[in-house]
Amino acid sequence: MSRIPHSLRSPAAVIGFALLFLQILLILFAPLLSPYSPVEADALASLQPPSAAHWFGTDITGMDVFSRVIYATRINLLISVVSVAVAFLIGVPLGLFIGYYKGIVSSLVMRLFDFIQAFPIFVLGMALVAVMGQEIWNVAIVLAILFTPVFARLIRAEVLSLRERPFVAAARCSGASDLHIMFGHLLLNALLPAMVQVSISIGMAILLTAGLSFIGAGVRMPVPEWGLMVSSGAQQMILGVWWVSLFPGLAIVFSVLCFALLGDVIRDLLDPTKTRRAVSTSTDIIPGIGGPL
Amino acid sequence: MLTGLRRFQQMLPRSLQIILPRLLLLAPQMFGVLFVTFFLIRLLPGDPAVLLLGNMATPEAVAQLRERLGLNDSIWVQFIAYCRNVLHGDLGISIFTSHPVLTDLMERAPATLELIFYAMILTVAIGLLLAVVSVVRPGGFTDVATRIYGLAAGAIPDFWIGLILIFVFFSKLGWAAAPFGRIDAMLSEPPYVTGFYTIDALVAGDFGVLHSAAGRLLLPVITLAVVNAGALMKMTQSVFGKVWASPFVRHARASGVPERVIIRAALRNSLPPIITIVGFLVGFLLGAAVLVETIFSWGGLGQYAVQAVMNSDYPALQGFILVAAAFILVVYLIVDILYELVDPRIRV
Repeated sequence: MSRIPHSLRSPAAVIGFALLFLQILLILFAPLLSPYSPVEADALASLQPPSAAHWFGTDITGMDVFSRVIYATRINLLISVVSVAVAFLIGVPLGLFIGYYKGIVSSLVMRLFDFIQAFPIFVLGMALVAVMGQEIWNVAIVLAILFTPVFARLIRAEVLSLRERPFVAAARCSGASDLHIMFGHLLLNALLPAMVQVSISIGMAILLTAGLSFIGAGVRMPVPEWGLMVSSGAQQMILGVWWVSLFPGLAIVFSVLCFALLGDVIRDLLDPTKTRRAVSTSTDIIPGIGGPL
Repeated sequence: MLTGLRRFQQMLPRSLQIILPRLLLLAPQMFGVLFVTFFLIRLLPGDPAVLLLGNMATPEAVAQLRERLGLNDSIWVQFIAYCRNVLHGDLGISIFTSHPVLTDLMERAPATLELIFYAMILTVAIGLLLAVVSVVRPGGFTDVATRIYGLAAGAIPDFWIGLILIFVFFSKLGWAAAPFGRIDAMLSEPPYVTGFYTIDALVAGDFGVLHSAAGRLLLPVITLAVVNAGALMKMTQSVFGKVWASPFVRHARASGVPERVIIRAALRNSLPPIITIVGFLVGFLLGAAVLVETIFSWGGLGQYAVQAVMNSDYPALQGFILVAAAFILVVYLIVDILYELVDPRIRV
């Protein structure tokens, strides 16, 4: 027990990991855990309130909300994790290059990033998905495009200060190539802010995916996806039918919260100099991208 | 030449020294926006004329539009033509409403601006108030509550909280107005002055309309504020917290300055970063308005954009993105200028 770092024993860490574990369970064992098919409509069981047979009730087509919430974990996390992973894999080397080489290309790339990030992120995402076609993979590609500048910027900012440090000069004097300096010496030292950002970005990607689906610019029915499910219950909400939208929305809240908490945990773990008070910045606004939308 | 420019700049008053270079920067940025909106449509696979007219278009109509759009010319000639059209206020014809896109956008802009305006005021009020109280009284109830709220606010989808508010305050309790548009369907719009129904009703002295418009604004404004105030609150907490711990605050307290005056002075010193965040907030609110307007049938720009997406109405979508980006650029410009104006320590 004493071997476990303090930052992993905080309440935030425990809740974060518990939620992550729960989501992994839901993804792996969705067919075992869900009592009904997530896509099978049953017109006779339309809009039934929560009961022993349907824990979260049924939606207007009679699909079981509980089963759909479980299955949606797969789609939502798949899109979010894949898009952030792609953004990380492209953004990190790109950030290294534009931080290490000062030149016209680097400043052009930075201006391009400024420009992408000047658009309201949700509006840009909506337009891109609308133009590319409303497919699951297009949503992931669009999110990857939106998040790449975030990682590249974070790495670049670190590299800019690191590249003047003596250890880089020493490496250069001992004959190390630019590539070796970048990937052998600078990369690991510059990675911390980007690592923290990975977890936070996954949470933001979940919110964006759900928002895009909600307005009809994401995945389509009957795919079980949280935003789409909230949207399918939106009409009945006014009539007092709360269960169709409530439960998928709660799923979004807990999922995003999980990755926000884990972002804090990663920061504490990798950077023990940070004090407790300075931690609560996980969902702070990062210039140009920031909050969920 | 450059030194001459610099000398000329230094002769101007400080405020103009700040504003002029920023204005010059706006031109290339707007050019970039035009570039993106143009290629967004042109990069699509398929014939833009078919996309613009829809699949039902006759071959003659497609050929005619290709001619009119100059699609047979080179891409750069087309781009120049597009820029010229936009500069003349021609954003094309919406496929769905069959009105000029600019007219559509102008009609709907006041609805969105009114929504964002009030949401902004409430967001700033909640964010600053919670931040100041939690910093001034650490360990108190507000401090704990704000920590939970700060964590949760970033995780709540705005479209979902909007629906929950409708369910609780309209369907169950019956306190709030129906989520169908900006005023009661039985009332007629106030005569146009600013386009803001609340202000126009006030000007016309029509308190029935004012009551209805304010009631309709309540839920969407709360929705936007609840979701966005968290980020502003956390930012203010960290900035204001640092100022609150600084020696000048301690000195003021030791000298017997009343707490209220100290808070005001400390807040004044935390202002520059807060202004930046408030500027970004306008961008977020515009994005969030797309979702919230849809829920409340608001009939503003956001709902227009969603309809454009649903109906593959590309000219409308193109127009919306152009106007939204231009709006955001202008807001960022104002933020940059304010940022430097409120902090005399920043050198031009």
